[in-house]
Amino acid sequence: MSIFKRAFLYVARKRGKTILLFAILLIMATFVLTGLSIWKASEAAQLDLRQSLGGKFDVFVDWSNSPYVVKEPVKEVVDEETGKTSSSFLMYSAVQFTPENIAAIKGVSGVKYCGARQDNLLPFDGLSLFPGTISTDAKYQGYTKTLGVCSTEDDELFTTGTLTLAEGRHIAADDTHAAIISQDAAERNELKIGDYLTAHSYSVEDQGFTGQEIKVQIIGLFTPHAVEQFGETVATYDKIQNRVFVDLQTSKEIDGGEINYGFSALHVAIDDPQDMARVVADVKALPGIDWQAFTVEMDNETYENAAAPLAALNELVVTLLVVIVVVSAIILALILTLWTKSRIHEIGVFLSVGIRKPAIIGQYLIEALLISVLAFGLSYFTSNAVAGQIGNHLLEQSIQTEPEDGNDIVAAAAAVDVGADNLIQKPLPTENGIQVSVGLDNLAQLCLIGLAIIFVAVSASSITVMRLKPREILSKMS
Amino acid sequence: MPTLELKNVSYAHEKGKAVLQNVSAELETGKMYAILGPSGSGKTTLLSLLGGLDVPAQGSVLFNGEDITAKGLERHRRNHISLIFQSYNLIDYMTPVENVRLTAKLDAAPILERLGLGQDEITRNVLKLSGGQQQRVAIARALASDAPVILADEPTGNLDAGTAAEITAILKESAHVFGKCVVVATHSGEMAKQADVALKIKRGLLKE
Repeated sequence: MSIFKRAFLYVARKRGKTILLFAILLIMATFVLTGLSIWKASEAAQLDLRQSLGGKFDVFVDWSNSPYVVKEPVKEVVDEETGKTSSSFLMYSAVQFTPENIAAIKGVSGVKYCGARQDNLLPFDGLSLFPGTISTDAKYQGYTKTLGVCSTEDDELFTTGTLTLAEGRHIAADDTHAAIISQDAAERNELKIGDYLTAHSYSVEDQGFTGQEIKVQIIGLFTPHAVEQFGETVATYDKIQNRVFVDLQTSKEIDGGEINYGFSALHVAIDDPQDMARVVADVKALPGIDWQAFTVEMDNETYENAAAPLAALNELVVTLLVVIVVVSAIILALILTLWTKSRIHEIGVFLSVGIRKPAIIGQYLIEALLISVLAFGLSYFTSNAVAGQIGNHLLEQSIQTEPEDGNDIVAAAAAVDVGADNLIQKPLPTENGIQVSVGLDNLAQLCLIGLAIIFVAVSASSITVMRLKPREILSKMS
Repeated sequence: MPTLELKNVSYAHEKGKAVLQNVSAELETGKMYAILGPSGSGKTTLLSLLGGLDVPAQGSVLFNGEDITAKGLERHRRNHISLIFQSYNLIDYMTPVENVRLTAKLDAAPILERLGLGQDEITRNVLKLSGGQQQRVAIARALASDAPVILADEPTGNLDAGTAAEITAILKESAHVFGKCVVVATHSGEMAKQADVALKIKRGLLKE
């Protein structure tokens, strides 16, 4: 009689033991499969989180240490009442980022966007602005924030979806005298694409925008995803509907001199926050950028805060998996050891008729495998039924056990900046939990782990009996 | 040439107590041998040595003139020996016919039928058979294995007199009709009378 037939007969006829072993293997397999699927879901969620949140770093002039920082006195002002003299200074970096530098950084592997701005507060002739909720100095009434960029498509407000281009096109690197304004401002001022806005360059003499006339053509209109709510404090020049984007050339003209020929700061968004160190190193290795002038500030906080519960869940699941596997192997080995001892009579008979010890252990192994095929197969369905609930319950536990308040994750994800930048949108993939589903790959992993557990358990349970001589076994029988 | 031969065999328990001392015997095909002796005299030890379940401290056991350790004890047990026990030692999750087929080289059903087991009995749970029927199944397993030697340890020890007589007759038939070398360790004087050769173990020595 073959080893397979003997194993089949045992499994078929010893129904009580078969059902018990089936139940144990089913529970074990369900736990292992659930753990594996949660692990996979957690890994996928982390990857999704990394890709959706990304990472970012800012590069800006090192005002404290750069040898290229210049501080020039501009004008001495005498206070008429006190008679005291005060001096104004102009401070700038002689080394700035150029559009070529930005293009090179955008070419680095892993860089998603690279944006840079020149900020100016200036008035446009006849442009009616939406009023802010706080009063501003009389000097700045009618002023709005104008951002000089190489490309609006790479600006953080557009890349994060805070602003959307509703009409027209983006400002590109080779544009001159081009502008994008809000659709609301266009309606308020009865402007449309192709119309012109008029501004004046900065005059150092007058300390104001009284210089040469500059006309910019409106090439696009944007709509904001959200606007400041009632009660929020915002100055007129900072309101998002009043914002004006212009090309770099125009911005330089408005600035009125050759001092600001480029950008003092860059904002770089990367695909995967885990690649942060590598991307920064690659950027620093680019030729044509004098790093004595700049410093880098990495910001992975958003990702780390949002990913912390998933990382904790991952750790928890891996620990649970190890515990489940070890405990399962021990329980299975103990039960099989008891059963092997109760089968000493059978072992003696097999040995007396010349069946070898490895063939006897092989039979036990096949018996367990026959039952495990059914148990592992059924566990696919039981795991599918419970994995999602258990996974999200564990995730909730992970969030609750995080050292920081769970609400901080939301707060951290919504990066708070100044003015309209506090409207920048940030996705939060963990808010809706993780999507756990048991796949065939998990089932294959379970089979490998289950096989190892069964092999270890059967071998361990057979050691004591198999070390005995046939005569000793027959003596125990009698 | 004898089928089985004990050549100057000595055996002692681990505690040092000698069980067999320089025992020699020749056992031939077609004969039934009875080994007699009180409990603890070494009857089962002698069967274990003949069956390759244990090895002697000194001397050797030969099968057809060859030391049974030469090609391995498992091979000796599988090819040359069939064991019958006092407690039948059937596999409880197999039917009688499946128990016989465990090592069968011959067709199981006719042998079981010849030993008095009907079609209904050979396919039911082996534990639902009477003691005599279970021992018949054990003997059928021995015969179906087609091994030239049958070693039986107190095969009638658990049976009533009538059934014991039937089993004794079957073993005798196994030797005389089927040409086996049958060696029976027994307390039974009746079985000793039926044997072709009776050997007695006393103080570690084997005497005819």
